[in-house]
Amino acid sequence: MHEHTMDTGFSSRTVLSKFLPDLLAVIASFVAAGIFIAAMGFNVLDAYETILFTSFRSANGFIQTLLKFVPLVLLALAFTVPLAAGKFNIGGEGQMIVGAIGAAAVGIMFAHLPMILLLPMVILAGILFGALWGAIPAWLLYQFGINEILTTVLMNFVSFGLIDYVATEIWKDPFAGHPTTVPIGDGGKLPLLVSSPPLHSGIVIAILIAAAIYFFTNRTSAGYELVVTGANPRASRVYGINVRRMFLLSLILGGALAGLAGAIEVSGVHRRLIEGLQSNFLILGIIIGLISRGNNLAVPFVAFFIAVLEVGASAMQRTMMIPGEMVFIVEALVLLFVLLSDVVRRQ
Amino acid sequence: MDFEIQIVNFFKLVMLAIVPYILASQGTMLGGRTGLFNVAQEGIMLLGASVGFLGTYLYGSIWFGILMAVIVGGLFGLALAYFTTTLKMNQFVIGLALFFIGLGLSTLFPKFIIGVTLQPPLITTLKDVPIPGLSQIPFIGIILFKQNWFVYFSILLSIFLYYFLYKTSYGLELRAVGENPKAADSLGVNVSMMRYSTAIIGGMLMGLAGAYLPMAYTGTFTEGMVQGRGWIAIALTFFGGWTPHLILFGALFFAGVEVLGLKFQIGGFGIPYQFLLMLPYIATILVMMFAFKLVRTPAFLGQNYDREKRSLS
Repeated sequence: MHEHTMDTGFSSRTVLSKFLPDLLAVIASFVAAGIFIAAMGFNVLDAYETILFTSFRSANGFIQTLLKFVPLVLLALAFTVPLAAGKFNIGGEGQMIVGAIGAAAVGIMFAHLPMILLLPMVILAGILFGALWGAIPAWLLYQFGINEILTTVLMNFVSFGLIDYVATEIWKDPFAGHPTTVPIGDGGKLPLLVSSPPLHSGIVIAILIAAAIYFFTNRTSAGYELVVTGANPRASRVYGINVRRMFLLSLILGGALAGLAGAIEVSGVHRRLIEGLQSNFLILGIIIGLISRGNNLAVPFVAFFIAVLEVGASAMQRTMMIPGEMVFIVEALVLLFVLLSDVVRRQ
Repeated sequence: MDFEIQIVNFFKLVMLAIVPYILASQGTMLGGRTGLFNVAQEGIMLLGASVGFLGTYLYGSIWFGILMAVIVGGLFGLALAYFTTTLKMNQFVIGLALFFIGLGLSTLFPKFIIGVTLQPPLITTLKDVPIPGLSQIPFIGIILFKQNWFVYFSILLSIFLYYFLYKTSYGLELRAVGENPKAADSLGVNVSMMRYSTAIIGGMLMGLAGAYLPMAYTGTFTEGMVQGRGWIAIALTFFGGWTPHLILFGALFFAGVEVLGLKFQIGGFGIPYQFLLMLPYIATILVMMFAFKLVRTPAFLGQNYDREKRSLS
């Protein structure tokens, strides 16, 4: 599972032999889901056309895709960074929510500050709060050896109560029907790259972070220690790496990435804290991370592909009345078939 | 007198709430005892709740719903065993993938089959089946012997599993597989068969655990209605040291916290309800801080066994 291919030989033959199994896996999952869609009495070709091309037909569709891409790529990295050390962070949802709470709190409390101060504060608060939420399971693992899968998931459920409390008790917007806070100060809002339809500059942050994480895990010695820890903890210990500290750091870094995603949703998309802003980004992020097999170079590309499917899914639900969950099944099947293709390759 | 009624009522609700924890946790324990660590509980339970409700709603029989939930759960267990035991894929990765598929299908099926309705479609919830004689005992009778049959089943199952694992030779073999599959294999125990059978039975129990929720509480399926009970069941399994009898008692604690949270919400006490909602999850984390120091887990938990390999792990 934890294969970290270091080679970047991009000759055409290796690219083809590298991606052919993945392509076949994608096709196989579309066929499998297509049989199901047809059995339910829908037009499969129309459905797939909508799913695949909505993102590229209009400026709005493309911008919607980019807006989905930002949290997806960050949540995927929040999963793959700890995975490099062999740890499963299933808590990206909670870390994103708590990051969003931190960002909104700073954005509301210091609403009068100018952008040059407030915007960095809002983003940093998101990163810090997310890191803090990730640090709790990390510490429980470090100190007591508690399985991190369990604690990271449980922390998600704790965060649901927290966001509801903040959005309905502390900074409640009395005019909103849905649990929502008042808006953050203008200085805390991410500037727009395109005004109509709006595209915020969080996309730039996401791409820079994705590049930085790739550089960190694949090109620095600290990142190499992380990867080695995941590949063979016992050998790493012999080699002198503090394995437990690696687990700790990787989970905190994962939390920081998810927290950043929360801050960007607050600062760029909603301009306030809204309950439910985490959507299903956690699960999609994990799917992206696993389809990428933890390879951080692949993460942004897979994240874009999943963003296309997600935007297509909502269009399909609107125009054809096919439940959007159908696309979720397609995504889960892609994951399963991609993993299976590894088994085939191994033999 | 009023206070006594409250106490009896509280414990009766606790006994009602232990069922999903016990069933899912015993299912987890069974697989874990052969080294197979299932982390798809939440997804299997959601799907069990969904098809258990749909089966009952469409065919008017709770037994049909239960059958559906058990079959679907068993299929997920089979898939887990196939991918990990036969194909040697990572148990956690496959468990997560199955969790996602269960989660997706659980909302997809009702949307396809029933569609969106203004009024939620309802099934009749489970009735109490008082045990003649025993249910007449003051206090204890109402708490223990005036429950629905799922409650009796989950307690009897726990007792049976204890007997099976610790008093039969088959149970001994099963435990050996999780501790040292190589040694078990050399003694002629079929490691793969053990893992397949426990994964399937474990999946069935998880499906049943999910089906219980619409049948005992809501009468309908709602999205995400398992509310983390599947994950808490994993914690309970660790808490119970992967032993059926301690899981039975541990379930009382987790169910107790759940009911306490609900009682406080109704009672008020000035605590914001959001913090009461967090209670079960925080309590679970706190309890695990002790559990992970004190209890032991099967030595081979979470690892696949390849008989062609010379060394373990």
